[in-house]
Amino acid sequence: MSKKITLTIDGREITAPEGEKLLWVALDNDIYIPNLCAVKEIDPPQASCRLCFVEVEGYREPVTACNLAVTEGMVVKTRSPAVDRLVKTAFELLLSDHRLKCSECPKNRSCELQKIAKERRLKLRLTRFRPLVKDLPIDDSPDTFAFDPTRCVLCGRCVWEDHEVAGVGAIGFSRRGIDRRVTTFGDTSLADSPCIECGFCVEVCPVGALSFKE
Amino acid sequence: MGQASTELYEKIKAAATEKITALKQKPVVLVGMATCGKAAGAEKVREAFKKEIESHGLEAQVIDVGCMGHCYAEPLAIIAKPGHTPLCYGYVDEELAKRLVIDFLVNDDPCYEFAMVALETNDVFPTFSDFPRGVYEQKMILEHCGFIDPEDIDHYIDKDGYAALAKILTLEPEEVLEEVKSANLRGRGGAGFPAGTKWEACRKQKEPVKYVICNGDEGDPGAFMDRSILESNPHQVIEGLIISAYAIGATEGYFYIRAEYPQAIRTIRTALEQAREKGFLGKSILGSDFDFEIKVFQGSGAFVCGEGSALVSSMEGKMGIPRPRPPRLTTSGFRGKPTVVNNVKTFCYVPLIMKNGADWFKSTGTPGSPGTAVFTLVGKITNSGLVEVPMGTTLRQLIYDVGEGIPDEKEFKAVQIGGPSGGCLPESALDVPIDFDSLEEAGAMMGSGGLVVLNEDDCMVGIARYFLEFVQKESCGKCTFCRLGTKHMLEILNDITQGKEKDLASLDLLRELAEDIKAGSLCNLGKTAPNPVLTTLRYFWDEYIVHITEGRCPALMCKDLIVYYIAPELCSKLCNVCVGSCPTEAIYTREDGLKAIDQEKCVKCDNCLKTCPPQYNAVIKLSPPEMLKEKEGGSAK
Amino acid sequence: MQQLLEGEKELIIEKVGEILGKHGSDRENLIPILQEVQDSLGYLPGLSMEIIAEAMDIPSVDVFGLTTFYNQFRLNPPGKHQIKICMGTACYMVGGRIALESFERHLKIGEGETTSDRKYSLETVACVGCCAIAPVVVVNEDIEGKVTPTRVDGLMLAFEADEQEEEQKEAEENEEKGD
Ligand SMILES: Cc1cc2nc3c(=O)[nH]c(=O)nc-3n(C[C@H](O)[C@H](O)[C@H](O)COP(=O)(O)O)c2cc1C
Ligand code: SF4
Ligand code: FES
Repeated sequence: MSKKITLTIDGREITAPEGEKLLWVALDNDIYIPNLCAVKEIDPPQASCRLCFVEVEGYREPVTACNLAVTEGMVVKTRSPAVDRLVKTAFELLLSDHRLKCSECPKNRSCELQKIAKERRLKLRLTRFRPLVKDLPIDDSPDTFAFDPTRCVLCGRCVWEDHEVAGVGAIGFSRRGIDRRVTTFGDTSLADSPCIECGFCVEVCPVGALSFKE
Repeated sequence: MGQASTELYEKIKAAATEKITALKQKPVVLVGMATCGKAAGAEKVREAFKKEIESHGLEAQVIDVGCMGHCYAEPLAIIAKPGHTPLCYGYVDEELAKRLVIDFLVNDDPCYEFAMVALETNDVFPTFSDFPRGVYEQKMILEHCGFIDPEDIDHYIDKDGYAALAKILTLEPEEVLEEVKSANLRGRGGAGFPAGTKWEACRKQKEPVKYVICNGDEGDPGAFMDRSILESNPHQVIEGLIISAYAIGATEGYFYIRAEYPQAIRTIRTALEQAREKGFLGKSILGSDFDFEIKVFQGSGAFVCGEGSALVSSMEGKMGIPRPRPPRLTTSGFRGKPTVVNNVKTFCYVPLIMKNGADWFKSTGTPGSPGTAVFTLVGKITNSGLVEVPMGTTLRQLIYDVGEGIPDEKEFKAVQIGGPSGGCLPESALDVPIDFDSLEEAGAMMGSGGLVVLNEDDCMVGIARYFLEFVQKESCGKCTFCRLGTKHMLEILNDITQGKEKDLASLDLLRELAEDIKAGSLCNLGKTAPNPVLTTLRYFWDEYIVHITEGRCPALMCKDLIVYYIAPELCSKLCNVCVGSCPTEAIYTREDGLKAIDQEKCVKCDNCLKTCPPQYNAVIKLSPPEMLKEKEGGSAK
Repeated sequence: MQQLLEGEKELIIEKVGEILGKHGSDRENLIPILQEVQDSLGYLPGLSMEIIAEAMDIPSVDVFGLTTFYNQFRLNPPGKHQIKICMGTACYMVGGRIALESFERHLKIGEGETTSDRKYSLETVACVGCCAIAPVVVVNEDIEGKVTPTRVDGLMLAFEADEQEEEQKEAEENEEKGD
């Protein structure tokens, strides 16, 4: 059993196993920190969505909670003007590449983006940026689910499930930069890929990119 | 044990010296055959030398060497004839090569009229130190580049090469580490992290398997000194790598060199083989109980792979995507083992420090940044090429004394330093001393050592846009700020340079985004990507304003904000070159014989402006494009 | 991905097999293997990636991800003449873009594309290290300096002359065969 340590988050004293990542400690204690890409088992964490910023005493700038190990006496604030500014920008950047039609989205009301907007009082529309949503077709070739790449936030959870949990290897990341996307070998439809429709990836999708049919 | 290595080395050295001395008994022609030389036609020049020497039945050797740094004067050749001061000739072509063989080698006339510089002090011809450049330049790691045969290890050994290795094998690894720490050698790959500290962190790890990697990815689109060093003096890097491995306790080393640098890869491979043959690599190096092997990995051309964790990930056969720290690479790097990654130049200093001592190293440069800085000096500069100056030299000295200023009587505007992670500094910042900390304070960065001089014809918004487009394309795409943020910044800059942005508030958004990307990105690519934009906003704010409010590009560079126009008062009527030069047949002859441009057809290729004879210079650029109406309205009457 | 020509499939299987045999199936060899296959075939056909993935026991989508990530890899056959325009800082500033646009106009293709007759492909590269003679274009393996639009015209004329010569030779050979 690893050693227990005590830390403070938003003024609350909390005990946690030493070395556990701050994000999980906070979430386990019902303190919400926005996150999309975090998966406990991925080590080192991806830390790619850049939403889980917090202030930690001793650090000059906000740091991401998902890859920060807790230590004895750590003092954390989940909100500050600097944190709020970064989260607001990261969130709006993600929205600028996300097809925003919540009413038509299968994940309406269970979407993680909506949750973040509600928790942090952020707008679910673009205020500063122009839309960058790409013109990519929906793949509804599987019998049980569909994939809408224009709603994907690249959190990578589905790829993890596919590779490490289901052990299939049907989907993965491809390309680079703004073109980075989740796809199959040669961009074929899922039906033409090794996909076995186990549905694991659909279950972990935090947004409306992967959704079950009916 | 211990002394055996130096004894063994002395024997190797004696053999090498004997060989080189024998070589020097006969005339030797050295031709600069690094990529820059080849591009300028050095291969033909070498063949001309060989043919001519052969046809005269001379006993002279022609040897390929690397880059001396005077790229502006390529192809370069050095002729060393016994009894004469070795002379260096620039702009050599096949004719000159033939002539030099006949006049100098056959007869005894060194053709001073074609010589650029003498390589040894003498009474007749100036040496490097007689030029302003020579006064400021101080060559540490470039000393032998261009003067020794990179394909023959004996040339390096003759210059005391591998003596440092022989020496350190008699020391404890900790002593080597202490020397490097005491020298305060800071990493030359950009960030300036102290190499000794990094090595120590790695050495302390309990894991017995450790790696050391030479980062030769060199992704900065305006820099090529790492490649040049690898091609010109590979053994210096290799020796540095071996010494570092000894200090760190590493078992295996790697060269990570991008596949676009085939010649550097070939040279390093040959050099490794020769080092192995001499016993500098492999099992029981120089008779000691230290074993070390070096392999070569070819990078696949992604700028982000220069970042340590991405580099390691690509070596493991994956996408080159950075990962968050901690853990640092010195704890968990290649194959999850403690790993040190250093730049090519960083390794180059190591043999010199171990041979001459930390105090010698610290006697050059500034206290915070000891040693020298190596730059590729390019752009609107008279003497482009590779330069090495002591840290603390000012940018002004570098540009005006070493580089001999701006050609074509143009006005200096800015210097871009540090490539995509660096910034653009104006005239007022030219007295900033070149060292890691001062440059960062000014908003730029030492970066990789690319130094691009810009003049009045360069648009600062355009340059910022260029670098942003580069990082935007090269972003790995993993994290939100860098992937999407740089794209939004680029869109704004595109609009500004295309005259589509009319609202000054866009500049606030640009700055806000830039700051957030710096603070929020995962790796240093994203964290430094906004620098070119931030520095131009800071130093060249007015240029942004003029683009937005007047739709005018003061440097006449932004294509969408200019038109080409043939000034009737300058056009000769009789000459037709512009008509012929236009690829789209946009230029026509008016009824009155003057030439004019059909703006609908014009693709703004710049050809007519370049070809219009200098006595007329009738083609001019106008900005904003609306000026055309004024002009044409006026001249039609 | 590209349709395979006749006989290409066998060639791919043979070459990839050879290269795999040399390297072993450790994941660390993946990039060196892909580099060698591309050297040998000129590009990375989908089939080659599938064979490699299978031999290394990794998902083929991961090989696809890798080859679409790195600049070096191409999934389509290159043109016979590969034209690479340097977009390094020094070249860009003195007209790299203008050179690129000139080629685009001549070839009627964009950056990163190959003409439909597979004769020419157009790419951009970052600094080739010859900034002193900017703007620079790399044609096949040769470096051309100070490339103005007029020089582009000249280069294209030279290509066309070469092509015609070759066609003529081919025609002559065919005629001989026909006899
Ligand atoms: C995007 C990016 C590209 C980089 N490219 C290079 C490079 O081409 N060469 C290099 O030596 N360092 C490069 N670096 C810096 C390396 O991450 C690392 O700091 C360096 O190799 C360490 O060596 P040094 O301490 O000797 O400088 C790059 C960093 C980033 C973030
Ligand atoms: S900052 Fe850019 S390059 Fe670095 S991890 Fe993020 S997306 Fe990739
Ligand atoms: S949860 Fe921390 S960056 Fe995504």
